[in-house]
Amino acid sequence: MAKLAITLEINRESHEALVEADRTLLDVLRSDLGLTGTKTNCLDAECGVCTVLVDGLAVNSCLYLAVAAQGRAITTIEGLAPAREGLAPAREGLAPAGAGLAADALHPLQQAFIDHGAVQCGYCIPGMILSAKAYLDEHPRPTEVQVREALAGNLCRCTGYQKIVDAVLAAADRMAAGTVASS
Amino acid sequence: MSVGTRVVGHSLPRIDAPGKVTGRAVYAADFALPGMLYGKVFRSTEPHARLVRLDTTRAAGMAGVRAVISAADVPDIRYGAAVRDEPVFASDIVRYVGQPVAAVAAVTLEAAEAALAAIEAVYEPLPPVLDLAAALAPGAPLVHEAWQSYTAIPILQRDGNVCNRARIMVGDVERGWAEADRVFEHRFTTAMVHQGYTEPRAAVAAWDSSGQVTVWSNTQLPFDVQAALADILAITSSKIRVIVPGIGGGFGGKLRIGVEHFAALLARKSGRPVKVMTTSEEELTAAYPRQGTVIELKTGVTRDGRLTARQGRIYFDTGAFAGSGPGVASVATLVLAGPYRTPNLHLEGYAVYTNKTNCGSYRAPSGPQANFAVESQMDIIADALGIDPLELRLRNIVHEGDEGPTGQVLSAVGLEECLRRAADAIGWPDRRPGPGRGKGLAIGWWTTTGGSSGVYVKINPDGTVALNTGAVEIGTAALTGAAQVLAEALGVDLADITVVSADTFSTPFDFGAQGSRTAFAVGNACRAAAAELSRKLLAQAAAQLGSPKEALTLRDKHVVGPSGRISLADLARQSQQAGGGMIAHGTFIAPGTAYDTKRVEGHVYPAFHSPSFHAHAVDLSVDEETGEVTIHKYVVAQDVGFALNPTYIEGQIEGGVAQGLGQTLSEEIVYRDGRVLNANLTDYKMPTTLDVPRIESILVEHPGQVGPFGAKGVGEPPNVEPPAAVANAIAAALGVRITSLPITAEKIVQATQGGAR
Repeated sequence: MAKLAITLEINRESHEALVEADRTLLDVLRSDLGLTGTKTNCLDAECGVCTVLVDGLAVNSCLYLAVAAQGRAITTIEGLAPAREGLAPAREGLAPAGAGLAADALHPLQQAFIDHGAVQCGYCIPGMILSAKAYLDEHPRPTEVQVREALAGNLCRCTGYQKIVDAVLAAADRMAAGTVASS
Repeated sequence: MSVGTRVVGHSLPRIDAPGKVTGRAVYAADFALPGMLYGKVFRSTEPHARLVRLDTTRAAGMAGVRAVISAADVPDIRYGAAVRDEPVFASDIVRYVGQPVAAVAAVTLEAAEAALAAIEAVYEPLPPVLDLAAALAPGAPLVHEAWQSYTAIPILQRDGNVCNRARIMVGDVERGWAEADRVFEHRFTTAMVHQGYTEPRAAVAAWDSSGQVTVWSNTQLPFDVQAALADILAITSSKIRVIVPGIGGGFGGKLRIGVEHFAALLARKSGRPVKVMTTSEEELTAAYPRQGTVIELKTGVTRDGRLTARQGRIYFDTGAFAGSGPGVASVATLVLAGPYRTPNLHLEGYAVYTNKTNCGSYRAPSGPQANFAVESQMDIIADALGIDPLELRLRNIVHEGDEGPTGQVLSAVGLEECLRRAADAIGWPDRRPGPGRGKGLAIGWWTTTGGSSGVYVKINPDGTVALNTGAVEIGTAALTGAAQVLAEALGVDLADITVVSADTFSTPFDFGAQGSRTAFAVGNACRAAAAELSRKLLAQAAAQLGSPKEALTLRDKHVVGPSGRISLADLARQSQQAGGGMIAHGTFIAPGTAYDTKRVEGHVYPAFHSPSFHAHAVDLSVDEETGEVTIHKYVVAQDVGFALNPTYIEGQIEGGVAQGLGQTLSEEIVYRDGRVLNANLTDYKMPTTLDVPRIESILVEHPGQVGPFGAKGVGEPPNVEPPAAVANAIAAALGVRITSLPITAEKIVQATQGGAR
């Protein structure tokens, strides 16, 4: 299949890629650009682990063609937190939240997920957080039922969802109160 | 619960959370190497057949294909944890739809998939064994004609399609029937269900020029995978390095070797790194799901509700290979006994071969199935005798000092407290508060699996602490719990501890993320390491502080004495100058649990170690028109011994119940004629945010004797009782008992419109 040269705007940066027309955004993010924070699983838009934001809307990147994302603003989990000068990147794996990771390097949703114990294995969490972000941007004062509806396309097998829902509600309060500017 | 402790007992955030919320944590599915190929597995399309021809030549010649392997390319060995009955690739006979027959590696996933389509296999059908009844029928075709030639754990009781019969025998059930006023007999069935982890099984393998292979995989048991690979690759285990970068859920489904061997074999053949990752279809047709079961349960009781005898048989449809079946069948007998005093028992667990996927272990293996039968029947008995179900349980539950079914002496038994508090929380005894509404209880007990754990703990020259463990952080925050134990013992903060884990080359041995054991066992190994470090630190500080070491303590990141203090950082720096660094090796092995060997037969798990006890209580409504179940309140009271980190124990409870509700109400791998009909996540229905109610957790603390600060295993137990608790509430709501899982809306409507049963 012939390849197309495309330019994608991801996390406020421009990326060039050479892709076949049938390549998914998920595949390009993970394989070509190394943005593996966007997860892969069912490849059928059922589980939601591949959720990213396209022009602010949550989409399953496993069924979204990379060529269709041209000219749109894509946000992945790596780009959720506001970029700040002089901050060391978050540390990986089992490293603690030490001096390298200032608390305000996290988006309120990310911080709330930590504070509420909403993270277990963590594999669904990037998609879960981005689905929540897209919903809260449109509905800053949601009820619990609304949050549950907004996240119904994101499967989590570890948490039973309760602490995730609590985290999203707490983050909504914090974001709406404007104590921390959202990106 | 945290009185007098600084770190343990507190709901501190897990130490690996930042990487997981920012997307920086690397999972096995994310792992890649330069020049890596993509491997795919060619699988049987027949449930039982002779493989008369396999032609891979066309596939091997296709563009981008770098390796094709089949049985002819691998050592002729069979592997398996209990029975060595499974080949890497089928050579002459295929035994389930999905069994690996060949594998390819190519430069892209698309090229590998195209190569699969070019492989030709010709089968000659054999009579398949499609369910338990067919497998156990007289004269049934054998799934393994050569079963007697297989190597197996010697104590297993095998016979034809039965790859183990485990038994507990206590007293004399005939006497028990004679003493009973009523004898109840029921039959229950449960469906095959999948663990549902969100990260597929994945492995990347790469060989180096010295003949060592490194495998990055999301296994729960890196050391077990290392040993299995040594057999399959026919090389010594020290040439195999297994590293777990990160794991997106497992729940038992990632215990045994999954795709690691395909990656390693293809990498050896091609000379390139190879990645193999499963699809959802492969997960639902060729993984290690929970066995479907048939359970026959007969229980004798006196008029006043005292249990006199129980006879139970639970049959596990373990699929084409034994997998975890022989062990699961053993554990099941302890669950069938229930946490009850019953003087006469005859309990049997059968693991049975059929032509389906090889079943394995899934969170509390056998627990939900056996408990569903036991606790459903307790409610049936209560109603038949006119005794309140809570009261019937209170009259029969075990207490401190009682014997378990195999003679183990029970201690730290928090069961009565769990039962009363759970029942109170849903407003018992008002059991049928309105039309279509009912409440249910279920209780159970579970083990804290032993096995050994080692840790290396080092004090860094800046006073922080490195914890090096072979354990896998599967997601429960168990290693945060272990680190809390270490921080408490060393007098440092949790934030001072960094964990390195799960690398068979460089981390000490660990029995793995299984059996609710990680925080328990690794926590104890941390205590041992801290004791050794304390001894060294105090000895080193004594001269400098001018005090005998008996007068010194570890506190606030210092060794503190009556005349002054010295920091751990200073002591570590001194040790680096003069003593090779401040490091200790802490180990733990759970002590054996004494039991009566005469009571068991074919049993590979004869006692529950540091057992936990728990009660679930649910209040729900059922719509008789649609069969829809709405849960108003779900309460779990669990005796956790000591809550090392209450937030993450709640997380275990909430998640375990959610998974249990899936098994109870909607999940089933549906087989017809040996083929899975719903091998996708649309038709395999796992609970979403809209299906799981809020769950109230009551943490009961009766400290055990072995675990750190009295902690007991907490990960598996919440998965045991949901089917029974919900079934009992539905029966209370409808007056109709459903004895088969899942209790789908369809079954409810059929039951209510068709009368009883």
